[in-house]
Amino acid sequence: MAEEIKSPMAGKVISILVSVGDTVEEDDDIMLLEAMKMETTVFSSADGTVTEIKVQPGDKVDEDQTVIIVE
Amino acid sequence: MHKYFKKMDVFGKTLKDKMKERTRDNAEEMTAAEKEIGALKEKIREFGLPGEKINSRGMLTIWQRLEILVDEGTWNPLHTLYNPADNDDCTTNVVDGLARINGRWAVVIGFDNKYLAGAWVPGQPENILRVTDLAKRLNVPLIWVVHCSGAKLPEQEKFYPGRRGSGTPFFRHAELEQMGIPVLAGIYGTNPAGGGYQSISPTVLFAHKDCNIAVGGAGIVSGMSPKGHFDVDSAQELIDAAKKHQSAPPGTVDIHADETGFFRYVFEKEEDVLHAMREYMTKLPAYDPEFFRVDDPKPPAYPAEDLYHLLPMNPKRTYVLEEILARLMDGSEHMEFRPDYGPEMYCGLVKVNGMLFGCIGNRQGVLPKGYPEYADYQGIGGKLYRQGLIKMNEFVSLCGRDRLPIIWFQDTSGIDVGNIAEKAELLGLGQSLIYSIQQTEVPMMLVTLRKGSAAAHYVLGGPTANRHNAFTLGTAATEIYVMHGETAAVATYTRRLIKDQKDGKPLDPTVDKMNELVETYHQKSRPQFCAKTGLVDEIVDLKALRGYLEAFASATYQNPKSICPQHQLVLPRIIRG
Repeated sequence: MAEEIKSPMAGKVISILVSVGDTVEEDDDIMLLEAMKMETTVFSSADGTVTEIKVQPGDKVDEDQTVIIVE
Repeated sequence: MHKYFKKMDVFGKTLKDKMKERTRDNAEEMTAAEKEIGALKEKIREFGLPGEKINSRGMLTIWQRLEILVDEGTWNPLHTLYNPADNDDCTTNVVDGLARINGRWAVVIGFDNKYLAGAWVPGQPENILRVTDLAKRLNVPLIWVVHCSGAKLPEQEKFYPGRRGSGTPFFRHAELEQMGIPVLAGIYGTNPAGGGYQSISPTVLFAHKDCNIAVGGAGIVSGMSPKGHFDVDSAQELIDAAKKHQSAPPGTVDIHADETGFFRYVFEKEEDVLHAMREYMTKLPAYDPEFFRVDDPKPPAYPAEDLYHLLPMNPKRTYVLEEILARLMDGSEHMEFRPDYGPEMYCGLVKVNGMLFGCIGNRQGVLPKGYPEYADYQGIGGKLYRQGLIKMNEFVSLCGRDRLPIIWFQDTSGIDVGNIAEKAELLGLGQSLIYSIQQTEVPMMLVTLRKGSAAAHYVLGGPTANRHNAFTLGTAATEIYVMHGETAAVATYTRRLIKDQKDGKPLDPTVDKMNELVETYHQKSRPQFCAKTGLVDEIVDLKALRGYLEAFASATYQNPKSICPQHQLVLPRIIRG
């Protein structure tokens, strides 16, 4: 079952810490976002395998925007 | 009350290998920064004559004396890098810390007899005042290892007189004694003039057989020149007189043990002085720790090494405060106060060494949607908003009511600003927090994990909480400044830039000045600078933080000035509901 990992805030993607095919667990750090001059870690909300990464470093994201899909 | 304290909530999670791998660079950077600070401390420790030289004179060094005096593994040094007078040949020439002596906690201070036989130097009285304040705040004995040759005469004007000069510690000793806080002194070597008062002002004097204490030493007894100037004849007279007085200096044990009786005890060997002081500690007031424990002491559930991965050196990188606390508190357990209110601040009850404390710290990262509730912008951790300030006011006041000492963790960029924030009363609530802290009368310690900035630095239990803050620690990631250097450059030079442009002048010179200011701010906010100037009392390795918490816990509960019976504590009931 696919789980959409969403950005908890609006910001800019600094780096993506996983690749397609990686296995992740809930609470694993998967992405770094810059918002309000601070760098914030985005954590996975589910266990599974990364099947799609929908953003790239430098992209601007909105709050609740899907950034990674885990199955 | 065991149902409250033996079953507290657990916080923190095991650090995963993947996370460790990703944060390995940070751990290495933190370790390298600590190593650099450690090397500086070691240089100061080795300062002065080599230990062998002191030993060849039949004396122990201050460090050897402390090794005998203090229980193994309990030395928590303070003010190691403190050098407020910017001396280039030494720091403050005293060594101090919080330590256990034969099972009892004490504030310990000694003159470094490797430099000028333990002379007074510029900046030293400020250090001693911090130490006497610490003993007063924790209500624990002050233990001196006196070996003080008196003032470094060529620089006497910098420290001898004044409201906070070298004479004030004697007044402070009298204050401590009137508060019922004993001051013990082990006395070695020659202690003339100021050294004499360093020796006479404590409560009980333990003397080594070769020591002397006097109003004036051989130097001035033999050196009064009635001519108003010096010539070769008077120089010869001085040589003759000095030889005589140095062989029999004033104020030896013959006088001050046998005649005046000032020395309560005299010992043949240097080591025996220290053993006797250790023995004497059992005669001083102290509760058994069991009197105050709410649970059995236990270490944190997670290793301190994790802290190197969890606390980012990059000040822009966020982290989870609870994960830090879980590596420091007994059993990684806590009871959080009002978790659904004021999310930028953590307030809760924690245990250290089985004793109960209030704990307050800044959370980091983006705050929940809709917070702060009074504004249309998003809140960010590290800043203070209305609810967080109100929550801290409540928590601090209740800690005061329950007589619970408070441990603060500061990493703050300031209080929310702008007219919306003003309407939300943040200016008044910040000062209210200072008022709340002031009226608690409980000891506090602060760990400045990273940033101390703007007015928030004032309201979070730090050194500005003068009589309440026992000591403040920094880490290798600490930085303290009124605002970030770039912000300061903007505030200082923007009008100049506008004027330059209007006058048709090139902008480069002002831009250069802005960059210089940024660099100056950087240099003057580093951990070493903070320690040197006393903005913190010690920079501590992350893995050593727990030791300082245990020292604070044990010392502050050793002989507290007031007690709240455990079954009358109200905070745990408020939290549990």
